[in-house]
Amino acid sequence: MKRLLLTLLLALCTSVAAAQNGWTQAEELYRQGKFSAALSEYENLLKTYPNNPFVYYNIGNCYFKMGSRGLAVANYYRAFRLNPRQNDIRHNLALALENSGEKLVPTGVPEVLHRMFFGLSTTELQGLTYLLFWLVCIGILVGLWRRKWSRLATLICVLAALSTAWWLIRAQGEKELLAVVAAPVAEVRSGPGTNFPASANIAQGHLVTILDGKDTWYEVAISSQGLKGWIEKDAVEKI
Amino acid sequence: MTAQVDKTNLALDDELTLSVQVTGVSGNIVMPQLPSLPAFNVYSREVEQSSINGNTTILFRYVMLPRFVGNATIGPVRFNYDGQVYETQPISVRIYRATPPAAIPNNAGQVQQQADPSLPPLERALSNTAYTHAGQPFFMVAAVSNKTPYVNQSFTLAVRFYYSRAFHDAPYQKPTVSNLFLEDLGSHEGSQTIGGTLYRYQEQRYQLTAAAAGKATIGPATVRYHTGSAALSAFDRIFGGATAGPEKTAMSNPITINVRALPQEGKPASFYGAVGQGYSITAKVDPQNVQAGEAINVSITVKGPGNLKATQNLNFPHLDGFKIYPAAATAGTSTTSNGDLQSHKTFKAVLVAAASGIYTFPSIPWAYFDPQTSSYKVLQTTPVQLTVTPATKAEGGFNFAQGNTVGNGVETLATDIAYLKTSPARVENFLTHCSRWAVVNWVMGLLVVISLLFAGLGRKSLDKKKAFLTAKNQLKKPTSPQAVSDAMSLYLQQRLRVSTASLPLKEIGVQLHRKGVTPATVASFTSLWQRLEAERFAPAHAAGAAAADYASQAQQILKHIEEEIK
Repeated sequence: MKRLLLTLLLALCTSVAAAQNGWTQAEELYRQGKFSAALSEYENLLKTYPNNPFVYYNIGNCYFKMGSRGLAVANYYRAFRLNPRQNDIRHNLALALENSGEKLVPTGVPEVLHRMFFGLSTTELQGLTYLLFWLVCIGILVGLWRRKWSRLATLICVLAALSTAWWLIRAQGEKELLAVVAAPVAEVRSGPGTNFPASANIAQGHLVTILDGKDTWYEVAISSQGLKGWIEKDAVEKI
Repeated sequence: MTAQVDKTNLALDDELTLSVQVTGVSGNIVMPQLPSLPAFNVYSREVEQSSINGNTTILFRYVMLPRFVGNATIGPVRFNYDGQVYETQPISVRIYRATPPAAIPNNAGQVQQQADPSLPPLERALSNTAYTHAGQPFFMVAAVSNKTPYVNQSFTLAVRFYYSRAFHDAPYQKPTVSNLFLEDLGSHEGSQTIGGTLYRYQEQRYQLTAAAAGKATIGPATVRYHTGSAALSAFDRIFGGATAGPEKTAMSNPITINVRALPQEGKPASFYGAVGQGYSITAKVDPQNVQAGEAINVSITVKGPGNLKATQNLNFPHLDGFKIYPAAATAGTSTTSNGDLQSHKTFKAVLVAAASGIYTFPSIPWAYFDPQTSSYKVLQTTPVQLTVTPATKAEGGFNFAQGNTVGNGVETLATDIAYLKTSPARVENFLTHCSRWAVVNWVMGLLVVISLLFAGLGRKSLDKKKAFLTAKNQLKKPTSPQAVSDAMSLYLQQRLRVSTASLPLKEIGVQLHRKGVTPATVASFTSLWQRLEAERFAPAHAAGAAAADYASQAQQILKHIEEEIK
């Protein structure tokens, strides 16, 4: 038993050391300007740290330095969804979007309000909503026992309702199939095929919403331009 | 200064036009010096001068008749201007026999001329088609240089209008094409002997490119002409009317082309659609020494036959340490001295160096399909070394935004992305843990539902108990018979939902009986209630003593009721 525990501990230490070594090696390659090699390292790290915002952030940095604005935006967005409070993630996403003619904060919305709305990740909001729901339940039980309804219980109920609404709005937003133009230029056609005329060209880095799919084509809406059409699947990267 | 001929293959009875163009000259101009031309007789000279925005262009045109069969070279034409001698490139021309070596009978038994088999295919086809019209004063023929081209392979269409008599007012309409792109290559004139008659002709050439594999068609070209042979009418003679004869139409033969698809096997990734021979590629990188953050212009030019406009744009490779901004490609066409269409396409990009160092702009492959060998061939550019020194203007990064001064003494030089994260983020916190305990929601919800259910049931029982206890408490120390009657009334109201105020006593008794109260208890209650009513309206005893007595009886009755209705 002792031997088994020791082996497991050793394996864990080796794995952690290898992962840490991967971070250091990737950073070194990035500093030398070998961005595609650094990118491969970070993509390997994604297997060890799936859904880690900093891995996506670093991948976004590599793509940005390589000139692939579209893929940079896609990865910054993934990082932003996982940790919207992190300032560097927010800064890089805003900059990458700005370079593509897009905006992180919609026009007319105060920055403070946007930061507040994205103050928690969707998972954290889910957790907060659960927590408040439990408090509401406890409040009801206590109220039944004591035959009294306190002001605190009312406050918790209001907070729980607000949190649920907040979470549902955010979850609905993330449910939308968002994608980013990854090809240098993507042609928007009126149908799913090259035999349909192209109505617009979109430069990489622009955000599109996927509405439908057919063979190798996506039907997309480009809300920033008020456009709708079909784009080849290869030209966009799903977020 | 340029020189070109209207054709490079001609028969001995044909004529050749040499055009020498001089641009950017002013003042007194001397004629160019023609080289020795033993193979030709120059019989006509023309000079045309034009000036646009002060830039003068002079065109010297020489019409020449060939003298011998074989290859002839027109040497460099020299031009003296401002003490400097300019020269044109030599031009090679092939001269064929005018009279066919043999004449073969056709199906009708008539002897038909055949063109010199050594003529190039296009000229031979045009001549042979023209021979079938021998004897007609006006006719039109068309021929192509290749009837089975590949997709995107360029080939030539020539349309000739032959005439042996004078004509005027002859508008030309070019042929309609399907599944083909058509580009004008220019026109020229010539002459040819057909059936012993000398014909002059006007030739129009086009460069054609097939868009897709399959059948393609070239419709007839037409010329509507007036011969001028009609006699003047009496009316015309009096009023000086025109002598134009009736309008006639000459029409060329339609042509069907069988376009072949390009083989998929062995197609390289760097193939962008060019088909032909004699392509070349060059790469220009300027400047080759820059500071980090500065731009380097890269242009890759492909030259070759046919039309490169239709080919796809070149994909620039990723270059570590550089950000690449591809620009729109430009393409153009020009006609060579021998009349072929040459085109060029230039792909441009701007590289921005991220960090200092020695880099190599790699060799860029560009493939084309060679129809002669039916295989793909790949051209490569030469790698170019780039030296990037550290930036002196900004500390690394790219200058994405225009620098601007903010505040007092602080200048924003550049805006760049934030640096890497060197360790993974801590993704777990209390709230993320909570989000995983969805099962607790169900447990809590269930708990609340059960509690509400039990609370609902328990409340009924409590209310009932409460009514008896309240009445019992009120009856402990009653102040008057009225207080006793009130306590009993409240009990009946709360416990049995029987209202003593709105019902007569008899009806109250019936209601109690219905609730399960025995007739004896109902009788006791009726008796007590009547006495209490009497005490209320006509008191006979001292209030305190009577009240205690009544209260004691009332307690007994309520106890019985409580027991009986369970």
